[in-house]
Amino acid sequence: MKINYSLITRRTFLNTLFGGWIFAMLSGSLYALLKFAFPTLGKEPDFVVLNANDFLNIPPNSVKPFAWGGKLGFFFKKENGTTTALKGVCTHMECNVTYKPELKKFYCACHKGWFDQDGKNIEGPPPKPLEFFDIKVENEKLIVARKGFKVELPKA
Amino acid sequence: MKRFFLSLILVLSNSIFLFAEEKIEIFPSVPFDQFIVYQNLAIFWVAIIGLIVIIRMKLREFERIQKMGIDKEEKDIPLLD
Amino acid sequence: MSCQRLKSWIEERYDVEGIKSLVAHKVIPVHQYDIWYYTGGIAMFFFILQFITGMVLSMYYIPHLEHAHKSIIEIVTKLNMGWFFRSVHHWGAQLAIIFVFIHVFSTLLLKAYRKPRELTWVTGFMLLTISILFGLSGYLLLWDERAFAAVRVATGGAGNLPLVGGFIKAFLRGGIDVTGETLTRFYAFHVAILPIITILLTVIHLMLVQMQGMSIPVSIEKKQHKTMLFFPNMFYKDLIIWLIMLGIMVSLAVFFPPEIGKKADALAPPPENIKPEWYFLFLFQTLKLFPGEILGLNGETVAIIIISLGILFFFLIPFFDKKSSRGEPSPLFTWIGIIYTLYFVVMTLIGFVT
Repeated sequence: MKINYSLITRRTFLNTLFGGWIFAMLSGSLYALLKFAFPTLGKEPDFVVLNANDFLNIPPNSVKPFAWGGKLGFFFKKENGTTTALKGVCTHMECNVTYKPELKKFYCACHKGWFDQDGKNIEGPPPKPLEFFDIKVENEKLIVARKGFKVELPKA
Repeated sequence: MKRFFLSLILVLSNSIFLFAEEKIEIFPSVPFDQFIVYQNLAIFWVAIIGLIVIIRMKLREFERIQKMGIDKEEKDIPLLD
Repeated sequence: MSCQRLKSWIEERYDVEGIKSLVAHKVIPVHQYDIWYYTGGIAMFFFILQFITGMVLSMYYIPHLEHAHKSIIEIVTKLNMGWFFRSVHHWGAQLAIIFVFIHVFSTLLLKAYRKPRELTWVTGFMLLTISILFGLSGYLLLWDERAFAAVRVATGGAGNLPLVGGFIKAFLRGGIDVTGETLTRFYAFHVAILPIITILLTVIHLMLVQMQGMSIPVSIEKKQHKTMLFFPNMFYKDLIIWLIMLGIMVSLAVFFPPEIGKKADALAPPPENIKPEWYFLFLFQTLKLFPGEILGLNGETVAIIIISLGILFFFLIPFFDKKSSRGEPSPLFTWIGIIYTLYFVVMTLIGFVT
Protein backbone atom coordinates (compact mmCIF):
# COMPACT_ATOMS: atom_id res chain seq x y z
CA MET A 1 0.00 0.00 0.00
CA LYS A 2 1.34 3.36 -0.95
CA ILE A 3 0.36 6.49 0.88
CA ASN A 4 0.58 9.75 -0.97
CA TYR A 5 0.85 11.88 2.11
CA SER A 6 2.77 11.50 5.33
CA LEU A 7 0.95 10.27 8.38
CA ILE A 8 3.11 12.30 10.70
CA THR A 9 3.75 15.98 10.43
CA ARG A 10 7.18 17.51 10.43
CA ARG A 11 6.40 18.85 13.85
CA THR A 12 5.59 15.53 15.49
CA PHE A 13 8.64 14.00 13.87
CA LEU A 14 10.85 16.73 15.24
CA ASN A 15 9.26 16.56 18.68
CA THR A 16 9.70 12.81 18.87
CA LEU A 17 13.30 13.05 17.75
CA PHE A 18 13.94 15.81 20.26
CA GLY A 19 12.36 13.96 23.16
CA GLY A 20 14.00 10.69 22.26
CA TRP A 21 17.43 12.29 21.92
CA ILE A 22 17.16 14.05 25.26
CA PHE A 23 15.94 10.83 26.86
CA ALA A 24 18.87 8.88 25.42
CA MET A 25 21.40 11.46 26.56
CA LEU A 26 19.95 11.77 30.05
CA SER A 27 19.80 8.03 30.52
CA GLY A 28 23.38 7.68 29.35
CA SER A 29 24.56 10.28 31.83
CA LEU A 30 22.40 8.79 34.57
CA TYR A 31 23.88 5.36 33.90
CA ALA A 32 27.39 6.73 34.43
CA LEU A 33 26.23 8.43 37.62
CA LEU A 34 24.59 5.27 38.93
CA LYS A 35 27.64 3.21 38.10
CA PHE A 36 29.58 5.50 40.39
CA ALA A 37 26.90 5.68 43.07
CA PHE A 38 26.43 1.90 43.21
CA PRO A 39 29.97 0.54 43.43
CA THR A 40 28.82 -3.04 43.00
CA LEU A 41 27.16 -2.39 39.63
CA GLY A 42 29.12 -4.37 37.04
CA LYS A 43 31.95 -4.87 39.49
CA GLU A 44 33.49 -8.14 40.52
CA PRO A 45 34.80 -8.98 43.98
CA ASP A 46 38.50 -9.28 44.70
CA PHE A 47 37.93 -12.54 46.52
CA VAL A 48 35.17 -14.76 47.92
CA VAL A 49 35.25 -17.07 50.91
CA LEU A 50 33.54 -20.45 50.64
CA ASN A 51 33.07 -23.50 52.83
CA ALA A 52 35.91 -25.83 51.94
CA ASN A 53 34.04 -29.06 52.76
CA ASP A 54 31.39 -28.36 50.15
CA PHE A 55 33.91 -28.13 47.38
CA LEU A 56 37.00 -30.21 48.02
CA ASN A 57 35.19 -33.55 47.96
CA ILE A 58 33.67 -33.36 44.50
CA PRO A 59 34.55 -36.25 42.16
CA PRO A 60 37.42 -35.79 39.71
CA ASN A 61 36.70 -34.39 36.28
CA SER A 62 33.75 -32.30 37.47
CA VAL A 63 32.89 -28.75 38.43
CA LYS A 64 30.88 -27.13 41.19
CA PRO A 65 29.48 -23.65 40.67
CA PHE A 66 29.82 -20.83 43.20
CA ALA A 67 28.84 -17.18 43.18
CA TRP A 68 31.65 -14.88 42.05
CA GLY A 69 29.97 -11.61 42.94
CA GLY A 70 26.96 -11.55 40.66
CA LYS A 71 28.61 -13.89 38.20
CA LEU A 72 29.21 -17.59 37.85
CA GLY A 73 32.36 -19.15 39.16
CA PHE A 74 33.44 -22.80 38.86
CA PHE A 75 35.42 -24.86 41.30
CA PHE A 76 37.09 -27.38 39.00
CA LYS A 77 38.72 -30.71 39.84
CA LYS A 78 40.66 -32.16 36.94
CA GLU A 79 40.89 -35.86 36.26
CA ASN A 80 44.32 -36.08 37.90
CA GLY A 81 42.89 -34.56 41.08
CA THR A 82 44.37 -31.07 40.88
CA THR A 83 41.93 -28.36 41.84
CA THR A 84 41.48 -24.87 40.57
CA ALA A 85 38.80 -22.20 40.20
CA LEU A 86 37.77 -20.11 37.24
CA LYS A 87 35.18 -17.62 36.13
CA GLY A 88 32.48 -19.47 34.25
CA VAL A 89 31.77 -16.60 31.89
CA CYS A 90 32.62 -16.75 28.22
CA THR A 91 35.07 -14.09 27.12
CA HIS A 92 33.12 -13.43 23.94
CA MET A 93 29.69 -12.12 24.94
CA GLU A 94 29.66 -12.95 28.64
CA CYS A 95 27.38 -16.00 28.50
CA ASN A 96 27.78 -18.66 31.17
CA VAL A 97 29.78 -21.67 30.06
CA THR A 98 29.16 -25.33 30.94
CA TYR A 99 31.66 -28.12 31.51
CA LYS A 100 31.44 -31.18 29.28
CA PRO A 101 33.13 -34.00 31.30
CA GLU A 102 33.07 -36.45 28.39
CA LEU A 103 35.04 -34.06 26.17
CA LYS A 104 36.99 -32.40 29.01
CA LYS A 105 36.11 -29.04 27.56
CA PHE A 106 34.18 -25.95 28.52
CA TYR A 107 31.40 -25.06 26.14
CA CYS A 108 29.57 -21.79 25.58
CA ALA A 109 26.18 -22.36 24.01
CA CYS A 110 25.60 -18.79 22.90
CA HIS A 111 27.93 -18.81 19.93
CA LYS A 112 29.42 -22.28 20.13
CA GLY A 113 32.68 -21.37 21.77
CA TRP A 114 35.00 -24.06 23.17
CA PHE A 115 37.69 -23.88 25.82
CA ASP A 116 39.99 -26.68 26.88
CA GLN A 117 40.75 -27.84 30.43
CA ASP A 118 43.21 -24.98 30.95
CA GLY A 119 40.66 -22.46 29.78
CA LYS A 120 42.33 -21.86 26.45
CA ASN A 121 39.98 -20.74 23.71
CA ILE A 122 40.31 -23.48 21.09
CA GLU A 123 37.29 -23.09 18.88
CA GLY A 124 34.62 -20.55 18.03
CA PRO A 125 34.47 -16.82 18.55
CA PRO A 126 35.93 -16.32 22.08
CA PRO A 127 38.91 -13.97 21.81
CA LYS A 128 40.56 -14.71 25.16
CA PRO A 129 41.07 -17.68 27.48
CA LEU A 130 38.86 -18.08 30.53
CA GLU A 131 39.94 -16.26 33.69
CA PHE A 132 41.43 -18.45 36.41
CA PHE A 133 41.62 -17.63 40.11
CA ASP A 134 44.02 -18.39 42.91
CA ILE A 135 42.67 -20.75 45.52
CA LYS A 136 43.78 -21.34 49.08
CA VAL A 137 42.42 -23.48 51.89
CA GLU A 138 42.60 -22.02 55.37
CA ASN A 139 40.99 -23.74 58.36
CA GLU A 140 37.94 -25.15 56.60
CA LYS A 141 37.63 -22.08 54.43
CA LEU A 142 38.19 -22.04 50.71
CA ILE A 143 39.40 -18.66 49.56
CA VAL A 144 39.06 -17.90 45.88
CA ALA A 145 40.85 -14.72 44.88
CA ARG A 146 41.61 -12.76 41.74
CA LYS A 147 45.06 -13.70 40.47
CA GLY A 148 47.74 -11.75 42.27
CA PHE A 149 45.38 -10.30 44.89
CA LYS A 150 46.59 -10.55 48.49
CA VAL A 151 43.74 -11.64 50.72
CA GLU A 152 43.67 -10.25 54.22
CA LEU A 153 40.87 -11.82 56.19
CA PRO A 154 39.62 -9.83 59.15
CA LYS A 155 40.50 -11.46 62.44
CA ALA A 156 37.30 -12.83 63.84
CA MET B 1 84.66 6.35 51.02
CA LYS B 2 82.86 3.13 50.28
CA ARG B 3 80.47 3.80 53.08
CA PHE B 4 79.78 7.25 51.75
CA PHE B 5 78.82 5.87 48.34
CA LEU B 6 76.69 3.21 49.88
CA SER B 7 74.79 5.73 51.94
CA LEU B 8 74.44 7.97 48.89
CA ILE B 9 72.96 5.12 46.88
CA LEU B 10 70.65 4.33 49.75
CA VAL B 11 69.43 7.91 49.92
CA LEU B 12 68.99 8.12 46.16
CA SER B 13 67.08 4.87 45.91
CA ASN B 14 64.92 5.98 48.79
CA SER B 15 64.03 9.17 47.04
CA ILE B 16 63.25 7.23 43.85
CA PHE B 17 60.84 5.07 45.80
CA LEU B 18 59.29 8.17 47.28
CA PHE B 19 58.70 9.62 43.84
CA ALA B 20 57.26 6.37 42.61
CA GLU B 21 54.87 6.36 45.51
CA GLU B 22 53.87 9.98 45.12
CA LYS B 23 52.39 9.61 41.65
CA ILE B 24 48.74 8.77 41.97
CA GLU B 25 46.92 7.49 38.93
CA ILE B 26 44.29 10.06 38.17
CA PHE B 27 43.40 8.60 34.80
CA PRO B 28 42.89 5.00 33.66
CA SER B 29 46.31 3.56 32.84
CA VAL B 30 45.23 0.58 30.75
CA PRO B 31 45.32 1.60 27.06
CA PHE B 32 42.05 -0.18 26.38
CA ASP B 33 40.27 1.75 29.15
CA GLN B 34 41.74 4.97 27.85
CA PHE B 35 40.45 4.15 24.40
CA ILE B 36 36.96 3.55 25.83
CA VAL B 37 37.11 6.90 27.65
CA TYR B 38 38.05 8.81 24.49
CA GLN B 39 35.47 6.91 22.48
CA ASN B 40 32.77 7.81 24.98
CA LEU B 41 33.85 11.43 24.91
CA ALA B 42 33.53 11.44 21.13
CA ILE B 43 30.09 9.86 21.32
CA PHE B 44 29.11 12.45 23.93
CA TRP B 45 30.13 15.29 21.61
CA VAL B 46 28.23 13.75 18.72
CA ALA B 47 25.16 13.52 20.94
CA ILE B 48 25.55 17.16 21.99
CA ILE B 49 25.97 18.39 18.43
CA GLY B 50 23.01 16.31 17.29
CA LEU B 51 20.86 17.76 20.03
CA ILE B 52 21.97 21.28 19.16
CA VAL B 53 20.99 20.71 15.54
CA ILE B 54 17.56 19.47 16.60
CA ILE B 55 17.07 22.42 18.94
CA ARG B 56 18.02 24.83 16.17
CA MET B 57 15.51 23.19 13.85
CA LYS B 58 12.84 23.57 16.49
CA LEU B 59 13.84 27.19 17.07
CA ARG B 60 13.52 27.91 13.36
CA GLU B 61 10.10 26.34 13.40
CA PHE B 62 9.01 28.51 16.33
CA GLU B 63 10.34 31.62 14.66
CA ARG B 64 8.56 30.77 11.42
CA ILE B 65 5.31 30.24 13.26
CA GLN B 66 5.75 33.43 15.26
CA LYS B 67 6.40 35.38 12.06
CA MET B 68 3.21 34.03 10.55
CA GLY B 69 1.43 35.05 13.73
CA ILE B 70 -0.41 31.78 14.17
CA ASP B 71 1.08 30.90 17.53
CA LYS B 72 -1.72 32.67 19.33
CA GLU B 73 -4.32 30.04 19.95
CA GLU B 74 -7.92 30.86 19.34
CA LYS B 75 -10.05 30.48 22.40
CA ASP B 76 -13.26 29.10 20.88
CA ILE B 77 -12.12 26.34 18.59
CA PRO B 78 -14.60 23.45 18.46
CA LEU B 79 -12.96 20.49 20.13
CA LEU B 80 -12.61 17.22 18.27
CA ASP B 81 -13.01 14.07 20.25
CA MET C 1 0.13 9.58 25.61
CA SER C 2 -1.92 12.63 26.42
CA CYS C 3 -2.65 11.85 30.09
CA GLN C 4 -5.88 13.84 29.89
CA ARG C 5 -7.09 12.69 33.30
CA LEU C 6 -3.84 13.64 35.03
CA LYS C 7 -3.89 17.03 33.33
CA SER C 8 -7.43 17.77 34.41
CA TRP C 9 -6.67 16.47 37.90
CA ILE C 10 -3.95 19.05 38.23
CA GLU C 11 -5.86 21.81 36.48
CA GLU C 12 -8.83 21.41 38.78
CA ARG C 13 -6.61 22.01 41.78
CA TYR C 14 -3.95 24.44 40.68
CA ASP C 15 -3.96 27.56 38.57
CA VAL C 16 -2.01 26.13 35.67
CA GLU C 17 -3.46 28.60 33.18
CA GLY C 18 -2.13 31.49 35.23
CA ILE C 19 1.39 30.11 35.19
CA LYS C 20 1.11 29.29 31.49
CA SER C 21 0.09 32.83 30.58
CA LEU C 22 2.85 34.17 32.82
CA VAL C 23 5.38 32.11 30.91
CA ALA C 24 3.83 32.96 27.56
CA HIS C 25 4.09 36.68 28.25
CA LYS C 26 7.62 36.80 29.61
CA VAL C 27 9.75 38.55 27.04
CA ILE C 28 13.46 39.19 26.76
CA PRO C 29 14.75 42.35 25.09
CA VAL C 30 16.88 41.80 22.00
CA HIS C 31 19.84 44.14 21.43
CA GLN C 32 23.56 44.10 20.82
CA TYR C 33 24.42 43.36 24.46
CA ASP C 34 21.93 40.57 25.01
CA ILE C 35 24.66 37.93 24.96
CA TRP C 36 25.46 38.87 28.57
CA TYR C 37 22.00 37.72 29.61
CA TYR C 38 23.17 34.15 29.16
CA THR C 39 26.10 34.27 31.62
CA GLY C 40 23.89 34.05 34.69
CA GLY C 41 22.10 31.04 33.29
CA ILE C 42 25.41 29.34 32.54
CA ALA C 43 26.62 29.94 36.10
CA MET C 44 23.40 28.46 37.43
CA PHE C 45 23.75 25.46 35.15
CA PHE C 46 27.22 24.78 36.50
CA PHE C 47 25.94 25.10 40.05
CA ILE C 48 23.30 22.48 39.33
CA LEU C 49 25.95 20.14 37.92
CA GLN C 50 28.12 20.77 40.97
CA PHE C 51 25.24 19.78 43.21
CA ILE C 52 24.78 16.53 41.31
CA THR C 53 28.44 15.49 41.14
CA GLY C 54 28.96 16.67 44.71
CA MET C 55 26.11 14.48 45.94
CA VAL C 56 27.64 11.32 44.51
CA LEU C 57 31.16 12.21 45.63
CA SER C 58 29.98 12.80 49.18
CA MET C 59 28.85 9.17 49.30
CA TYR C 60 32.49 8.08 49.40
CA TYR C 61 34.40 10.97 50.93
CA ILE C 62 35.42 10.65 54.59
CA PRO C 63 35.95 14.01 56.34
CA HIS C 64 38.59 12.88 58.77
CA LEU C 65 42.19 13.90 59.23
CA GLU C 66 43.46 10.36 58.74
CA HIS C 67 41.14 9.17 56.00
CA ALA C 68 40.31 12.23 53.87
CA HIS C 69 43.28 12.02 51.54
CA LYS C 70 43.08 8.24 51.31
CA SER C 71 39.38 8.22 50.58
CA ILE C 72 39.89 10.54 47.62
CA ILE C 73 42.63 8.31 46.26
CA GLU C 74 40.21 5.43 46.72
CA ILE C 75 37.54 7.32 44.77
CA VAL C 76 39.96 8.08 41.96
CA THR C 77 41.70 4.74 41.64
CA LYS C 78 39.23 2.09 42.78
CA LEU C 79 35.69 3.15 41.97
CA ASN C 80 33.90 2.98 38.66
CA MET C 81 34.33 6.35 36.94
CA GLY C 82 35.54 7.85 40.23
CA TRP C 83 38.38 9.74 38.56
CA PHE C 84 35.88 11.19 36.10
CA PHE C 85 33.42 12.52 38.65
CA ARG C 86 36.14 14.06 40.76
CA SER C 87 37.59 15.68 37.66
CA VAL C 88 34.16 16.93 36.55
CA HIS C 89 33.54 18.34 40.02
CA HIS C 90 36.89 20.14 39.89
CA TRP C 91 36.38 21.61 36.43
CA GLY C 92 32.73 22.39 37.10
CA ALA C 93 33.85 24.46 40.08
CA GLN C 94 36.45 26.36 38.01
CA LEU C 95 33.96 27.10 35.24
CA ALA C 96 31.20 28.05 37.68
CA ILE C 97 33.45 30.63 39.32
CA ILE C 98 34.65 31.92 35.94
CA PHE C 99 31.08 32.49 34.83
CA VAL C 100 30.05 34.02 38.13
CA PHE C 101 32.87 36.53 37.64
CA ILE C 102 31.95 37.20 34.01
CA HIS C 103 28.34 37.67 35.08
CA VAL C 104 29.19 40.11 37.85
CA PHE C 105 31.57 42.19 35.70
CA SER C 106 29.10 42.33 32.81
CA THR C 107 26.45 43.51 35.26
CA LEU C 108 28.86 46.11 36.56
CA LEU C 109 29.82 47.43 33.13
CA LEU C 110 26.30 47.44 31.69
CA LYS C 111 25.02 49.04 34.92
CA ALA C 112 22.30 46.45 35.30
CA TYR C 113 22.58 47.05 39.06
CA ARG C 114 20.92 50.47 38.91
CA LYS C 115 17.51 51.28 40.34
CA PRO C 116 15.30 49.26 40.78
CA ARG C 117 17.65 46.26 40.82
CA GLU C 118 19.91 47.06 43.78
CA LEU C 119 18.81 44.02 45.74
CA THR C 120 19.49 41.75 42.79
CA TRP C 121 23.06 43.06 42.86
CA VAL C 122 23.28 42.50 46.61
CA THR C 123 22.10 38.90 46.39
CA GLY C 124 24.36 38.35 43.38
CA PHE C 125 27.35 39.68 45.29
CA MET C 126 26.57 37.32 48.15
CA LEU C 127 26.42 34.45 45.68
CA LEU C 128 29.84 35.47 44.36
CA THR C 129 31.25 35.41 47.90
CA ILE C 130 29.65 32.03 48.47
CA SER C 131 31.13 30.65 45.26
CA ILE C 132 34.57 31.64 46.47
CA LEU C 133 33.95 30.12 49.89
CA PHE C 134 32.78 26.97 48.13
CA GLY C 135 36.05 26.90 46.24
CA LEU C 136 38.15 27.47 49.34
CA SER C 137 36.35 24.90 51.48
CA GLY C 138 36.25 22.32 48.71
CA TYR C 139 39.94 22.75 48.05
CA LEU C 140 40.88 21.89 51.63
CA LEU C 141 38.85 18.66 51.55
CA LEU C 142 41.54 17.16 49.32
CA TRP C 143 43.86 17.49 52.34
CA ASP C 144 47.08 17.47 50.36
CA GLU C 145 50.12 19.68 50.94
CA ARG C 146 49.02 22.44 48.60
CA ALA C 147 45.48 22.67 49.87
CA PHE C 148 46.75 22.72 53.42
CA ALA C 149 49.22 25.53 52.74
CA ALA C 150 46.69 27.54 50.70
CA VAL C 151 44.03 27.39 53.38
CA ARG C 152 46.57 28.26 56.03
CA VAL C 153 47.51 31.38 54.06
CA ALA C 154 43.91 32.34 53.25
CA THR C 155 42.59 31.98 56.79
CA GLY C 156 45.72 33.67 58.13
CA GLY C 157 45.06 36.59 55.77
CA ALA C 158 41.53 36.97 57.09
CA GLY C 159 43.08 37.02 60.56
CA ASN C 160 44.86 40.26 59.70
CA LEU C 161 41.62 42.19 59.59
CA PRO C 162 41.51 44.65 62.48
CA LEU C 163 39.08 43.91 65.32
CA VAL C 164 37.11 41.03 63.77
CA GLY C 165 40.07 39.23 62.19
CA GLY C 166 40.83 37.04 65.18
CA PHE C 167 37.24 35.87 65.45
CA ILE C 168 36.95 35.10 61.75
CA LYS C 169 40.20 33.17 61.81
CA ALA C 170 39.21 31.15 64.85
CA PHE C 171 35.77 30.51 63.43
CA LEU C 172 37.14 29.29 60.11
CA ARG C 173 39.93 27.21 61.56
CA GLY C 174 38.06 25.85 64.54
CA GLY C 175 41.25 26.17 66.53
CA ILE C 176 44.53 27.96 66.60
CA ASP C 177 45.93 26.30 63.49
CA VAL C 178 44.60 24.41 60.47
CA THR C 179 43.93 20.94 61.87
CA GLY C 180 41.47 18.07 61.64
CA GLU C 181 38.95 20.40 63.25
CA THR C 182 39.27 22.72 60.29
CA LEU C 183 38.67 19.83 57.93
CA THR C 184 35.36 18.79 59.49
CA ARG C 185 34.36 22.43 59.71
CA PHE C 186 35.08 23.05 56.04
CA TYR C 187 33.26 19.84 55.18
CA ALA C 188 30.20 21.15 56.99
CA PHE C 189 30.49 24.47 55.12
CA HIS C 190 30.97 22.75 51.82
CA VAL C 191 28.19 20.17 51.93
CA ALA C 192 25.58 21.60 54.27
CA ILE C 193 25.79 25.27 55.12
CA LEU C 194 26.82 26.85 51.83
CA PRO C 195 24.52 24.76 49.60
CA ILE C 196 21.44 25.75 51.59
CA ILE C 197 22.38 29.43 51.56
CA THR C 198 23.10 29.15 47.83
CA ILE C 199 19.67 27.70 47.09
CA LEU C 200 17.98 30.36 49.18
CA LEU C 201 19.85 33.25 47.60
CA THR C 202 19.46 31.85 44.09
CA VAL C 203 15.71 31.63 44.56
CA ILE C 204 15.59 35.25 45.74
CA HIS C 205 17.91 36.34 42.94
CA LEU C 206 15.79 34.61 40.29
CA MET C 207 12.53 35.87 41.75
CA LEU C 208 13.82 39.43 41.66
CA VAL C 209 14.90 38.99 38.04
CA GLN C 210 11.53 37.44 37.25
CA MET C 211 9.60 40.29 38.89
CA GLN C 212 11.58 43.13 37.35
CA GLY C 213 12.53 41.68 34.01
CA MET C 214 15.86 42.06 32.28
CA SER C 215 17.74 45.31 32.59
CA ILE C 216 18.50 47.21 29.42
CA PRO C 217 21.70 49.30 29.29
CA VAL C 218 21.13 53.06 29.73
CA SER C 219 22.52 53.93 26.32
CA ILE C 220 19.90 51.98 24.42
CA GLU C 221 17.05 52.02 26.90
CA LYS C 222 15.18 54.83 25.16
CA LYS C 223 15.43 53.32 21.72
CA GLN C 224 12.80 51.06 20.28
CA HIS C 225 14.00 47.48 20.40
CA LYS C 226 12.75 44.07 19.57
CA THR C 227 11.79 41.45 22.10
CA MET C 228 11.65 37.70 22.04
CA LEU C 229 9.66 35.26 24.10
CA PHE C 230 11.43 33.67 27.03
CA PHE C 231 9.74 30.40 26.27
CA PRO C 232 10.50 28.87 23.85
CA ASN C 233 13.04 31.12 22.13
CA MET C 234 15.33 32.21 24.97
CA PHE C 235 14.97 28.90 26.76
CA TYR C 236 16.06 26.93 23.72
CA LYS C 237 19.03 29.22 23.14
CA ASP C 238 19.96 28.76 26.80
CA LEU C 239 19.76 25.03 26.27
CA ILE C 240 22.14 25.17 23.32
CA ILE C 241 24.72 27.13 25.31
CA TRP C 242 24.36 24.81 28.30
CA LEU C 243 25.01 21.82 26.10
CA ILE C 244 28.16 23.38 24.69
CA MET C 245 29.31 24.20 28.22
CA LEU C 246 28.59 20.65 29.34
CA GLY C 247 30.72 19.35 26.49
CA ILE C 248 33.57 21.72 27.33
CA MET C 249 33.46 20.75 30.99
CA VAL C 250 33.49 17.02 30.26
CA SER C 251 36.34 17.42 27.76
CA LEU C 252 38.42 19.38 30.26
CA ALA C 253 37.70 16.74 32.86
CA VAL C 254 38.90 13.97 30.56
CA PHE C 255 41.99 15.71 29.23
CA PHE C 256 43.15 17.50 32.37
CA PRO C 257 42.27 15.48 35.45
CA PRO C 258 43.47 17.37 38.53
CA GLU C 259 46.51 16.04 40.36
CA ILE C 260 46.51 14.80 43.91
CA GLY C 261 49.51 15.85 45.98
CA LYS C 262 51.09 14.25 49.00
CA LYS C 263 49.08 14.07 52.18
CA ALA C 264 49.21 17.24 54.23
CA ASP C 265 51.63 17.29 57.12
CA ALA C 266 51.42 20.17 59.57
CA LEU C 267 55.10 19.91 60.44
CA ALA C 268 56.52 19.62 56.92
CA PRO C 269 57.61 22.79 55.11
CA PRO C 270 55.10 24.00 52.49
CA PRO C 271 55.84 22.87 48.91
CA GLU C 272 57.85 25.14 46.60
CA ASN C 273 56.18 28.20 45.04
CA ILE C 274 52.66 27.50 46.12
CA LYS C 275 49.99 29.61 44.52
CA PRO C 276 46.46 30.08 45.71
CA GLU C 277 43.58 29.13 43.44
CA TRP C 278 43.25 31.52 40.54
CA TYR C 279 40.34 33.47 42.00
CA PHE C 280 42.55 34.48 44.91
CA LEU C 281 45.47 35.50 42.75
CA PHE C 282 44.42 39.14 42.49
CA LEU C 283 44.35 39.40 46.28
CA PHE C 284 47.66 37.58 46.53
CA GLN C 285 49.27 39.97 44.03
CA THR C 286 47.84 43.01 45.78
CA LEU C 287 49.30 41.86 49.07
CA LYS C 288 52.69 41.57 47.39
CA LEU C 289 52.52 45.24 46.33
CA PHE C 290 52.58 46.47 49.90
CA PRO C 291 55.82 46.84 51.86
CA GLY C 292 56.20 45.14 55.20
CA GLU C 293 55.67 48.31 57.18
CA ILE C 294 53.73 51.48 56.40
CA LEU C 295 53.95 54.44 58.80
CA GLY C 296 54.78 52.14 61.66
CA LEU C 297 51.82 49.87 60.96
CA ASN C 298 51.90 46.26 59.85
CA GLY C 299 51.92 46.42 56.03
CA GLU C 300 49.70 43.40 55.65
CA THR C 301 47.04 44.86 57.92
CA VAL C 302 47.02 48.08 55.91
CA ALA C 303 46.76 46.08 52.69
CA ILE C 304 43.88 43.99 54.00
CA ILE C 305 42.05 47.12 55.15
CA ILE C 306 42.45 48.75 51.75
CA ILE C 307 41.32 45.60 49.94
CA SER C 308 38.32 45.28 52.24
CA LEU C 309 37.36 48.89 51.57
CA GLY C 310 37.70 48.27 47.84
CA ILE C 311 35.43 45.25 48.04
CA LEU C 312 32.97 47.10 50.26
CA PHE C 313 32.79 49.92 47.72
CA PHE C 314 32.24 47.37 44.97
CA PHE C 315 29.40 45.88 46.98
CA LEU C 316 27.77 49.29 47.50
CA ILE C 317 28.20 50.64 43.97
CA PRO C 318 24.43 50.60 43.20
CA PHE C 319 23.87 52.94 46.13
CA PHE C 320 26.65 55.36 45.17
CA ASP C 321 25.81 55.55 41.49
CA LYS C 322 23.06 58.17 41.71
CA LYS C 323 23.19 59.25 38.08
CA SER C 324 22.49 55.94 36.47
CA SER C 325 19.73 55.24 38.96
CA ARG C 326 18.02 58.29 37.48
CA GLY C 327 18.52 56.75 34.04
CA GLU C 328 21.23 59.19 32.99
CA PRO C 329 24.62 58.07 31.68
CA SER C 330 27.25 58.12 34.43
CA PRO C 331 30.73 57.99 32.89
CA LEU C 332 32.43 58.12 36.31
CA PHE C 333 31.02 54.74 37.26
CA THR C 334 31.73 53.35 33.83
CA TRP C 335 35.37 54.17 34.51
CA ILE C 336 35.21 52.72 38.00
CA GLY C 337 33.75 49.55 36.52
CA ILE C 338 36.47 49.38 33.89
CA ILE C 339 39.16 49.92 36.52
CA TYR C 340 37.77 47.16 38.72
CA THR C 341 37.53 44.75 35.79
CA LEU C 342 41.00 45.58 34.47
CA TYR C 343 42.52 45.35 37.92
CA PHE C 344 41.05 41.93 38.47
CA VAL C 345 42.03 40.62 35.05
CA VAL C 346 45.55 42.08 35.01
CA MET C 347 46.39 41.05 38.55
CA THR C 348 45.11 37.53 37.93
CA LEU C 349 47.19 37.29 34.76
CA ILE C 350 50.31 38.59 36.49
CA GLY C 351 49.78 36.11 39.29
CA PHE C 352 49.36 33.37 36.72
CA VAL C 353 52.52 34.16 34.80
CA THR C 354 54.92 34.75 37.69
